[in-house]
This record gives sequence, C-alpha cells and structure tokens, in this order.
Amino acid sequence: MVVDLLTDGAARTAEAAPARIGRLGPVLRTVRVLSLLVAVAVGAFVLVAASPVDPVDAYVGADLAAVGPEQRAQIEERWGLGDPPLERFAAWAGNVVTGDLGTSQIYGLPVTTVIADRFAASLSLMALAWLLSGVVGFGLGLLAGMRAGTWVDRVLSWWAYLLASAPTFWVGLLLLYVFSVSLQWTPVCCAAPIGTLPGEASLLERLHHLLLPALTLSLVAVSPVLLHTRQATIEARESDYVAFARAQGDRGTGLVLHRVVRNAAGPALMLQFAALSELFGGSLLAEQVFTYPGLGEATTQAALRQDVPLLLGIALFTAVFVFAGNALGDVVHRRVDPRARREVAA
Amino acid sequence: MTAAAVALTAGALTACGGTTTAGSGGASSEGGAPTELRLAIGGESEEGYDPTLGWGRYGSPLFQSTLLTRDADLELQPDLATDYEVSEDGLTWTVRIRDDVAFTDGEPLTADDVAYTFNTAAEQGGLTDVTVLEEAVATDETTVELRLERPQSTFVNRLASLGIVPEHAHGEDYAQQPVGSGPFELVSWQQGQQLVVERNEDYYGEQPDFERVTFVFTDEDGSLAAARAGEVDMAAVPAALATQQVPGMRLEAIDSVDNRGVMFPTVPEGAVAGSGNEQVGNDVTADLAIRRAVNTAVDRAALVEGVLEGFGSPASGPADAAPWGNPSAAVADADPQAAATMLEEAGWRDEDGDGVRERNGLRASFALLYPAEDSLRQGLALNVADMVAEAGIEVRAEGVSWEEIDRRLHTDAVLFGWGSHDPTEMYNLYHSSQAGVEYWNPGYYASDAVDAHLDTAMAATDEATATRAWQAAQLDEQGEGFTASGDAAWAWLVNLQHTYYTDECLDLGETQTEPHGHGWPVTAGITGWSWTC
Repeated sequence: MVVDLLTDGAARTAEAAPARIGRLGPVLRTVRVLSLLVAVAVGAFVLVAASPVDPVDAYVGADLAAVGPEQRAQIEERWGLGDPPLERFAAWAGNVVTGDLGTSQIYGLPVTTVIADRFAASLSLMALAWLLSGVVGFGLGLLAGMRAGTWVDRVLSWWAYLLASAPTFWVGLLLLYVFSVSLQWTPVCCAAPIGTLPGEASLLERLHHLLLPALTLSLVAVSPVLLHTRQATIEARESDYVAFARAQGDRGTGLVLHRVVRNAAGPALMLQFAALSELFGGSLLAEQVFTYPGLGEATTQAALRQDVPLLLGIALFTAVFVFAGNALGDVVHRRVDPRARREVAA
Repeated sequence: MTAAAVALTAGALTACGGTTTAGSGGASSEGGAPTELRLAIGGESEEGYDPTLGWGRYGSPLFQSTLLTRDADLELQPDLATDYEVSEDGLTWTVRIRDDVAFTDGEPLTADDVAYTFNTAAEQGGLTDVTVLEEAVATDETTVELRLERPQSTFVNRLASLGIVPEHAHGEDYAQQPVGSGPFELVSWQQGQQLVVERNEDYYGEQPDFERVTFVFTDEDGSLAAARAGEVDMAAVPAALATQQVPGMRLEAIDSVDNRGVMFPTVPEGAVAGSGNEQVGNDVTADLAIRRAVNTAVDRAALVEGVLEGFGSPASGPADAAPWGNPSAAVADADPQAAATMLEEAGWRDEDGDGVRERNGLRASFALLYPAEDSLRQGLALNVADMVAEAGIEVRAEGVSWEEIDRRLHTDAVLFGWGSHDPTEMYNLYHSSQAGVEYWNPGYYASDAVDAHLDTAMAATDEATATRAWQAAQLDEQGEGFTASGDAAWAWLVNLQHTYYTDECLDLGETQTEPHGHGWPVTAGITGWSWTC
C-alpha cells in the first residue's frame, strides 16, 4: 500500500515533467531522480515510523507464549531497533549512499540480494503481461475506435469496463479454477513444476507456468489501453486529415495503418509506460494467487511485518523503476509523434 | 471479505471440479508406490532453517535432530540423547548423547556441537527462547552439561525442540543451506514457491519410506486448488474450507492444543495499579459468580458443531490434550438454568425486567473483544453472547483491532487463542508475577494456591512431579485452581483440530497432537508415513 502511494506519486511527478527540458535534459533528469529518491525515502520512513505495527510482535506472532521479555530484547538488539527513529534513519541513509541497503529482517539476507532475486522472477511475468496487454489492448482499441458505435465497439467497451472493475485477485482465482483445476491445462502454482530443482525445468515448462499469471495480469491491464486507444482512434478518425484521405479514396487497412495508427499510438504508449506502477500492484496479487515467487510477495511480507530495510529498499527500487518507465515513455512518444519533438526544440 | 469471496468461488465451482481425475501427484516408480511426496501445508520459514534462530521450535526440525523428542501422546522419548539427569538444585542438566551419529556432511556429531548449539541459541535474537541458559559445556565427547541461571523444569522442552547444528558448518548461509543429522536433507529451497528435501540415507533412526518430499508454499486457496487438480498428496486448509469433497482424497482432522477461550479481568476496577498509567480491572467479571455462570451457560459442544464445523472438541483448560492437562477440570455446561441459580445466589437479580441482572445498581454486562479480522473468533464471541443471555448476562461482542485489544485487555474480556507443547505457557497465563507482562495474565489473576503449584512445577527436577503440579494448578484436591470449578479465571471454549486433505493412499500412522498453527508439525511423524495402495 505504502509503495503504491509512492509510486503513483512518482508517476505523477514524471508525467508533470514539462517536455521542454532541452539540452540540459540528462542533468535535470538526474537531479530530478535524486530528489525523488530522497522524498520517497523520507516519506516511506515517516509512514513506517507512524505505523502501529510492532515488528517484534509481527515476528513473534503465534509464539507469544514462548518468547519472554529477555528474548524480545535480544531480537530488538539483533535488528538494531533500540535507537530512536531519527538516528536509525540517518544511519540507514548513510549506508545507502555507500550502496548498502541493509539486511532484511524477514529473510536475514542483504536487501539487494532479496530484491535482485525476486525482481528477476517478477520481470518475466511483468514483461509478458505488459506486452500482452499493450498489444491486445491497442489492437482491440483500434478496432473499437474504427467501428465506433457498432456492436463490435459496444461489446469491446463493455468488456473493458467489466475487466477494469474486476479485482485481479478474483480474476486470478477464477482462471485458476477454470484452467488449472477443471480443465487441467495449466499448473496450479509456482514458476516451475512441483518437485523440480532449479535449472531442471525446461524453457517450455517455465513458459507454461508463466502463462496463467501473465494472462491474469494482462487481462486487467488491457482495459485502460483499450479505452484510451479507442478514444484516440475516434478523434483521429474525425480529423480533417482523415477526411481528406478518405476524399482521396483511402480506405480500409491502408487508411488505418497510414493515417490513424501513429496518432492513436501516442496515448497508448504513454499510458503503457506510465502503467508500470499499476503493473507492480497487480503482479503482487497475481503472484499471491499463483504462488509465483516475485517481488510482490516480498513487498506484502515487508509491509505486514514492518521489515523497514526491505520496505525502504523496495520503495526506492520501484521509484527508480517507475521513473525509468516514464522517461522511456517520453522518449518513445517523441519518436512516434513528431509534434512532441517540436515542443522540445522550441 | 476475500475469504468469503473465495469460499463462494470455491463452492460455486465445486460442480465443475467434480470431473477432475485424481492423480497421485507423486512421481510413481512403475506401478508401485511413489517415492516422492508433495505437500501443500504452507509454513515456509522466510528466515531460513537455522534452529538457533527458531526453526523447528515446535520440535521435529526435519533437517536437524533434537536431544529428546515428543511422541504422538506428547510424552518425551530419547532421540540424540541416551539419558539425562537434573541436579538436586535444578541448575545443572547433564545430558549423555549417542556416539554413532553423523551430520550429512560426514562429520560426527559430538557434545561440542550440542554445547555450541545451546550457547549460540541463548545469545541469538531469534524465536527460540533459551535465555535461562547460563552456559553449556561439553565435559567429554558424549556428555554435555547445561547450566541454568535458575531452576526451570520446562527447559526440557528446549531439549525436545532445539535442533543440533554442526559447529564446523554453522556459517552465514546456514539458514539457507542447513546441514544436520535429521531424517531429511535440504536439496533446494526456491523461496516463495517450493522446498525440496531428500532422504538422509545415513539417518540413525527409522528410515522414511519416501526418498524425496517437496513442500509447496501455496496459500490456502492455492492449496485447495492443488489438491483438486491432483498435484499434491496433502493440502492444509482452514476448517471453513474443509467441508468439500475432493476426489481421491480424504479429510484428515488432527487434534491440536490450539485453543480458544475467554479471558476475564479478575480484579475490580482500580484494585491494583497497572504498569505505567494503564487501567486495570472490571467490576462485573471480577465477581466469581459471573465467571462461573458464563462457564456453565455456554454450550461448548454446540460451538464445536456450529462454529468449527465439527473439527474440534470442548475445552476445559489451556492444555487439554497434553500430558500436563487435567481431565477432571471439565465442568458440566450448556445449562443456563444452573447458571441463573448461581447468579441468584450471589445476589444478581433482574429487577427492572430488561433481561439483564443487576446487583447494587451494577448491570451484569461486559464487553468481549475479539480481533475483527478473525471470523472464527467472531463466530465464537457472538454465539457465547447468545448463550449467556439466557442466564441474564449481557455480553457485548466487539470486533476491534489488535491495537485496541492492547489498550483494553486489562479492563475487558478478550477472546484469546493459545496452545503450546510447552507448559511454560500455563505459568505465564496464570502466575501472579506475570500479570500485565506482554499478553500474559492480562486479567491480573492472582491466587496463592495456584502460584504455589506453578512454582513447584517450575522448580521440579523430574517430569512426573512437574506434571502433577501443573495438573494441580488447574484443579487441586482442595478444589482450588484456575479452571471453571476453581476460580474460573477464564472460560475455555474449544480445542481446534487442524484439517488436511490427504491422498487416500497415504497413511499418516499415529499423528501427534499439534501446537498452535498449521503446517510442518504434521511432519513430526513423517518417518512413519507409508503408501497403502
């Protein structure tokens, strides 16, 4: 939750970035990303410090009866919880500057190791879902826009609204029951077959295990792209240049490819890159349903159990990730749409 | 909310799930019994598998072995230890160990390793509390002396739960790659999804039938789905999900010491000072007649049927199934008439005719708190309120956050859950010295007779004396004790059973009464599991 708020904030900051950065671009971007990271770190820490969850309580959990005050003091000492919050934050920030993000309380491993391991797993899931939702959403949006007002448009729009309002968790469970339990086409869990050792699973098996989680994630992410593309397509279709092309006899696929696609792609691309933060949020739920060992699961654990080093590490990492996504979106948008480039030059 | 939605989804889809063919799940050697098991019983230890940090604190750490072990009836049996003795003053425990045990890396397990394990665990800030240990010293190859700071008979539970680690291989990555002398060896841990273990061919005890076991870390819905799809041989599910038929599987309900009961503040408001400036006491629940009436009016069997779906048993104390439980502490219940008589005799009468009794202007009414997210405790609290209303007591069931329970647990009744393989819990819940410490004895219960029995139990140097004293604390020959026929400090309600969908062909042998919480405790008897098809 905390992370979500922050990454959304980050997305907004990046979106608000004026396109007229000019030649100072790289420098400004660096300053921007650094100030963003400081803000994210401070914000996340303040939220964590204000949270009523006691990390030792969360760690002890059901073993309340067996862990006495002396033992609790030992746990606090091991985690360095004795110092006042400000001192802890200062110590943490000092280490971060040297590249040390600390040790996760939950996993007992360096935070960088936890994030690297988990992100590697999440990456394939998110990448596949991102591509699927982008391509499918854009294609269907184009179709709906070109056929605006017909039954095709109505069915697609209705479907998009339905998906947009369906929780990822629920869609995941539904797909799990239909495809894994009833039809048994896909496995019920994990990133590899049950009982295999790392490296034993073939690429095909991995893809097989990736399929359903990625499908779940992309299904829900399809609708915003679809609806925005539809709107952009309708606008492009009603423009003077399309009317002119029509007057010259352009029809069908040619018209769409040459006059509409590029104009409609702008919003879809921006949206798709800006949606990286939502993809994170969605992957969290999809990973939980399918026991897919990604960053989402680590994030939930870190938040529920007040693993401050891990939580801050993930917050910083996602901020950078989302910032990079938005920056990339800017670049691609400018390549696709010359008008955006002109604005920069001015 | 998600739980309800899930239950609905699962229920709605039961019909189409019926066509599922049940596979055995495990890799089968041609026609014969499978050599591999797949278990979806949750319980991943995120921190890893280091006993000095708390892994295996319920006993049976799987990768390591312990000095003693508890059998199916929770009686102590030797394991690594051949025998042990406690000095007269209870301060020195001398343990002799087997000389024929080796770790999976081939190195022999010696008294030095045992001493190292205990000393390390005593200093580590983990989940196993060995703070009473002053030091452990190996006096020769096979003898180790554990010196305590004060006598503590329950220290025997550390002997039964602390897995011995090798001093020579206990480095930084031990938690990820444990080396031990247990029946299984960790082969691969893929965090967040599965853990694969293989049989330790050199294990000194009974060899398990299965060569390889995979633990899959699905959540409860995922486990049920995996069971339905025939991908696992065992799936732990909460009782609420355990009412469905899964083809090829039977439901195994295993007794546990996991229990639920109502804690009463036993002192009047302001009678004792709390630590700091917290409020302590409740004038209604401080009255013995009220507490006894609640104990008599509730219908425990109906709670088991209605709230636990039948997966449980009525509770009379905090440790019914353990050897130190006291069966004679059970009272006749489901009798609101008798409860009403008790209240009449104590002067509680309903004079204004609103269905709730009063005494000297005080209404027989108190709040019963439960954590709002726990649907099981909610069900119990609401039903208890209904049951005692017939006797003229008003119970206001309130679902609140743990933070609010923290603030109010000394002034209001709370629906708690406990249950441990270690009677230290009983000491903590009822000894007057633990009043207001952590979550222990939140009701500030104090009885000289009970304190004396608990002290005797703690200071005992042999198990039999300790067990007798623990039982006496619940109810002694003079009729004193903290249970319902004594001071009725709590109204214990139910003991839970843990439910597992288990392949019809998998025989679990004799199962051990499980501690609080699902999961790996079920593997305590894994060396006795067998395939019967």
